[in-house]
Amino acid sequence: MEKSIETIWKEGFLKNDALIAPKLNNLYNQKSIDIVDKFKRMYKINRIAIIAFAFIILPLSFLVKIPYMGIGMFFIFSLITFIANKFSEKLYKLDKTESSYQYLISFDNWVKEMAATNTKLSRFLYPYVFIVMVSGFWFGSIGGDIPGNKLVNFILLKFPNTYLILGFPLILIIIALIIMSLLAYFGGHIGKWDLNLGYGRIIKRLKVLLADMDELRN
Amino acid sequence: MSNDFYTSSILPYSGIIIKICRAYTDTQEDFEDYYQEVCLQIWRSHSNFKEQSKWSTWVYRISLNVCLTLLKKKRNKENHFALDSLPDEAIEDSRSFVDESLNQLYQAIKQLSEIDRAVIMLYLEEKSYQEIAEIIGTNPNNIGVRIKRIKERLKKLLDGKVN
Repeated sequence: MEKSIETIWKEGFLKNDALIAPKLNNLYNQKSIDIVDKFKRMYKINRIAIIAFAFIILPLSFLVKIPYMGIGMFFIFSLITFIANKFSEKLYKLDKTESSYQYLISFDNWVKEMAATNTKLSRFLYPYVFIVMVSGFWFGSIGGDIPGNKLVNFILLKFPNTYLILGFPLILIIIALIIMSLLAYFGGHIGKWDLNLGYGRIIKRLKVLLADMDELRN
Repeated sequence: MSNDFYTSSILPYSGIIIKICRAYTDTQEDFEDYYQEVCLQIWRSHSNFKEQSKWSTWVYRISLNVCLTLLKKKRNKENHFALDSLPDEAIEDSRSFVDESLNQLYQAIKQLSEIDRAVIMLYLEEKSYQEIAEIIGTNPNNIGVRIKRIKERLKKLLDGKVN
């Protein structure tokens, strides 16, 4: 070796081509594609998990003799998967050939639409899940007996003046209605919390990225 | 990131950013990604700069941190996905400088460990041992010995190639 490394370094970088800074164009291209692709993967896993759960709970509910719960759950989880699949189709239609800013704006709009639908659905979902679970256990079977009838008999024995509507104690109907109302009222919040739990980090990254890009454009 | 910030606070130091990014990447595409990410991080974190060190030291530190983080992420990703999809041999650097000696020196530097690469580049940029230690986050007393060892390794690597 004739030259020292110090000399090679100094002389080498004196040549014109050595230190040409790349242009800061398409700065967010890869980032935009990465963030959406990651979301797509997570969303797909989520959908598979929901439908798998629906198919597991259905036979299981028959096995443990609470079929109403299984059927109700299967129905609602299938419906959720159906809606999610519809959203997924829209997600896959987002145009990657648009500018990264436009691509992210489209994705952000999609997220907002999906979150709004999720919030609306949650207002019905949680009360529905509650009533399905209660019905499942109420009309189920424990050792050949129907737990709901046993409970009504027990209440009537203890409180003979209990008022019944269609064979259900009024007090239980009121309690169930209060719980369902609370679940309907807070369902939207629970839905948002649930969404944040799964996708919060990626949505936060999306917001930061969009804020950066907005600043870059102005 | 405004053009003003880029022109006044990043562009004058683009040389060192380029040198560092080149040492941690194998392709022009990766190099451009790393360079852009470094610029972004400098811009994002410039409000945290407390003037306790020189701006150039801040730029060096961010450049190295970003490159090392991206390199780690890239390796994790490669390990995460199917290993059999990777090429059998190490990826050759597809880029070259006009100066052949500089090309050989870069190839030799890229055979060093990630931290040794950082140390030798800072040394070649004539940073003091104190500054190198500050940027790397190590004891300045060890820097001299480490540089001596790295230079010997580089000399061997270069001699192997030149002769």
